[in-house]
Order: sequence, then C-alpha cells, then structure tokens
Amino acid sequence: MADLRIKINVDYDDFSLSIDQQISLTGITGIFGHSGSGKSTLLKVIAGLDKDAQGQLLINDTILFDSQAKTFLAPQQRNIGLVFQNSRLFPHLTVEENLRYGQKRKKNNVTNKPLDFSEIVALTQLESLLVKSVAQLSGGEQQRVALARALLAEPRLLLLDEPLSALDDQNKILMLTLLEKVQKQLNLPMLYVSHSLAEIQQLANSLLVLSSGKVSHYGDIHQVIHQLTTDNEILHQTSLSLTVKEHLPAYGLTSLVLAEQQILMALNDHLEIAKQARCIIAASDISVTLHEPRESSIVNHLQGIITGFNRCNAQILLTVNCSGQDFFVTITAWSANRLSLVLEQSIYIQFKANAVRILR
Amino acid sequence: MSNSHPDMLALITTLKMAGLTTVILMLIGTPLAWYLAKMQSRAKVFIEALVALPLVLPPTVLGFYLLLLFSPQYLPGQIWQQATGQQLAFSFSAIVIGSVLYSLPFVVQPLQKAFEQLGDDLLEAAAMLGASAIDRFFTIVLPITKASFITAASLGFAHTVGEFGVVLMIGGNIPGETRVLSIALFDHVEAFDYAQAHIISISLVICSLILLSLIYLLNRPKKSQPVLSKRFS
Repeated sequence: MADLRIKINVDYDDFSLSIDQQISLTGITGIFGHSGSGKSTLLKVIAGLDKDAQGQLLINDTILFDSQAKTFLAPQQRNIGLVFQNSRLFPHLTVEENLRYGQKRKKNNVTNKPLDFSEIVALTQLESLLVKSVAQLSGGEQQRVALARALLAEPRLLLLDEPLSALDDQNKILMLTLLEKVQKQLNLPMLYVSHSLAEIQQLANSLLVLSSGKVSHYGDIHQVIHQLTTDNEILHQTSLSLTVKEHLPAYGLTSLVLAEQQILMALNDHLEIAKQARCIIAASDISVTLHEPRESSIVNHLQGIITGFNRCNAQILLTVNCSGQDFFVTITAWSANRLSLVLEQSIYIQFKANAVRILR
Repeated sequence: MSNSHPDMLALITTLKMAGLTTVILMLIGTPLAWYLAKMQSRAKVFIEALVALPLVLPPTVLGFYLLLLFSPQYLPGQIWQQATGQQLAFSFSAIVIGSVLYSLPFVVQPLQKAFEQLGDDLLEAAAMLGASAIDRFFTIVLPITKASFITAASLGFAHTVGEFGVVLMIGGNIPGETRVLSIALFDHVEAFDYAQAHIISISLVICSLILLSLIYLLNRPKKSQPVLSKRFS
C-alpha cells in the first residue's frame, strides 16, 4: 500500500502552510478546507509546481523533494497527474492529440500493463469528440478530456484541484460518477481538493481537513465528518455507508443494512443490491424515545447508547451509538430534561424513511 | 543592373548582414524575452529599458560608443583582434554586432508579449504530463506563439535592412564588406545621382511595404483559430 509522507512548511508574506502528515494512498482522499486554508498550495507542492516549500515529501521510498538534501524532482519526473479547475487543454491540438500528449510521454511503468487508449476514451465517453478542436467543446466535455489526458499518462497518483467547480449540476453528477468508476477500474489513488464538503462526501473514503494552513482532521470520511459535527464546524448530520439489502416497491421503500438492524428509506431503485450507498441523516430529523416505539408510524427505530452529550445554546447534541455506528441527534434542552437523559443510557432513536438522504 | 554593379554588391551585403543578424537575434532574443516574461524582480524594468534604448536613442549615439569599444584601444576590440587577427571596427562583423544591438527591441518585445500572454497554465499542464522544459518549448510555446516568432524575425530583418546611422559610424563604406544599401543611397544623393537613388529608395519602400503587410496579415485575429480561452479562470 502506498503512502504519501508530507512534512512541509511554506511561508509567504500573508499565508503559511505547515503540515506533518502521512496519507495512505488508497481510493480517494478528499482534501477539504475553506478558501485560504492552503489546500491548493498543498496540491501544488505535491505536484512540484510550487518550488518554495521547505521540508520533505515522499511517496513510499521515492523522495519527491527534500529541501535539506537539496533534492527536487521536477513535476515531469514525479509521475503524478493533475486535473486542474480550468481544463488547460492545449488549444493548438485536437482532442485526440491532447490525449496522446500525455500517453507519448508516460513513464515506463513496469508493474502495470499499459492502458488501452480506446478503453480510456470509451470510459470517459469521448469517442465522438476525438477529431474536434478543443475550442468546440463544452465545459463538461473539456473536463472529461482533461481527466482522460491525465489518466493516459499513467500516473501513480492523480491530483484533482476543484475539478467540478466550473461545471453545471448535470455535468457535476456525470463527472462524479465517472471519477468513481475510473478509481475503481484503474485502482488509481486520488487526492481530491474541494471547498465543497458535499462533493467530497459523495466520493472520498478518507478526508483531510485543512484549516489556516494546518491539518485539523484526518481519517476515515465518516469519522472525520462526525468529528466536524461535534466540533460544530458543519451542519449536524450523520454520515453513513450502508449496504443495500432489497427494494420494497409495494411499500415504496428500500431497505439498508446496519449490522443486525435495518434502516428503511424512500424507494430508490437506482441503488444496486449488495452495494454500498452513501447517505446522510440530519441530526434534527432524528428523535429520541426511552422505550421501543412499537406503535409508531415512524419506520426506523434503532436501539443505542448515549455516548456524547453536548450543549449548544438551548439545543443538546447527542451522540448515540447504535450497533457500532454513531448517530448525531439534536433535541431541545427541554426534552433532555423531561427524559432525564444521561451518558451511557440505553435509548431508542427514531427517524422517518424520508430523513435518510442518499448523496448520489 | 549587372552582377558587378556596386549597388548589386551593396544589396548582397545588406541581405547577408540582415540575414545573419536575424539568426543571431532569434537565438539571443528568445531566451532574453523568456527571461523577461518570467522575471519578477525589480531589475526587470531596468533590463527592459536597456533593451528598448535603441528605440529612442539616435543610432549615431549607439554607433559612436560601439566605434570606441570596437577599436583596438579598448578591451573588446583588443580581444577580438587577438582572437581573429583582424580589426573589429569597420568590418562586416562590426556591423552585424551593431545591428543585433540596434534591432534587439524589435525581436524581444513581440516575443516577450507573446510569452507573457501564454502564461504558465498550459506549461504546467504539459509538465504534469511528463514534458521536459525543452519539450514544452517545442510542443507548446513555439506552435502557440508561432505568429509572434515570425513577426519578431520579420521586424528584426526589416529594421536591420533599414538601418543607417550605426553602420555609418562603425562600418564605414567598404564595398563588399560594409557598404550596405542605405549607405549606397546616401552616396548617390551626395553625388546628385538621383536616378540611382530612386531605384534603391523605391525598391526599399516596396519591399518593406510587402513585408510589413505580411506581418499584419499574419497577426490579424482569426475567428476560426482557437484563442487561449480563459473561460474558467
């Protein structure tokens, strides 16, 4: 398993970045932060486009740069791909020539078998566009060409710098689906930078959060989102990956598995059985009862234990662990008093099928 | 005009001088323009001013200082004489060096502007695809800024053909060596040989007009050609 070891300092007049973090290069790692948090600078340092950084950067045992040893691998020698926010296609070349540009210059990759040009073209749905000039392409098409061009250079790591920010909603969804497919099919590790947590939540399996040039959180995506929730940094929500069990069209429901319990959501027959589905449940959509609500119209009720009790203003944010999964629940201080809720207490949480929102 | 006609010889000398000057200018001017386009230090304005100096200075001023430097009394002239065994002042080499300095802004300025316009975006993208610096120059920079290269070379050539003051100061009037068309023209006028002067003058006017028209034609914005769109940034 590949690792990216980052130990860097970047100092500008008005901004500094200081990171000491090991990142495991599996699947898609989201890098989230507000503008000015340093996420784009971090990406540039990894790519080799920012030469002012001090410190060390390694992929496994390969030194990308080491400022003390005065080694600096030029961007073209790093075998790292980068998809920019603006596609940066070469205007004097056709779509096919753009794609071939990276392919012709790829580093010899002994371990993997070479990528098939037409396979990547088919994957990115560019067959009909190959002969076109890049000026004739729409924004979504340009970004697909940029992605395919980066893939054909066969990088060992693909960086994505806000790749969806210039696209409309329809193209965003298309591109997200594509990225997930590409990641699975090529087993290519990706670092995905975005200021939109919703975007990262749909794609990434781990998450690094940057705040004023420092790493504030890093880990499994759902865990980090839970931490962000407890720290009041984002809207309170429970983020889950659940296995799709079955569709119940007669009831208009889809059933999901959470350990030995089940969660029902509004029917979504686009979801494949036995595959993972990403969903979120807003903390305000969940309520708490002391006894199992057998005679309720609310379809989901799970047994759990209160593991967190945080007061913010007149609201209480409860963390309830059900079958190993933390759920966030907001209730009023009044309700908390009335039910005399305490830590470690066994309770039931309940929420409607409609409260479960599928991210994609 | 026969081959042995002195004006014919002056034409050949002129073309040789302008051709060689253009080649040297492209070789020196391209890296200089690149350096200036990428440079961020405060020294940039000073170097830019230095390059642009021939645009405003009377050519005779440049010629005067070069004459001093090229003479055997000064170090550059001495070094040249030791290395080649010949005096630098009043030689073909002297007028080529003078022309290079005199026409430098005409080559550097359009190239610098083109490089600045090109920016770093596409070059960064090419580097991330594995292209080395030289590779990037030939596959990205050159094809995209081709028109500016042709403009720079044409302006450098045309301006060198049209120069008078510098050549007069450091070249003198040696047939086959330093006697170029503009000097020949001056001689004809001095000798009241207006007929010959007309032939040279009108030929220079027509040739320059054709060359400049071609440059402007080349630089006319075309609708069909993809421009460097910055639609996302």
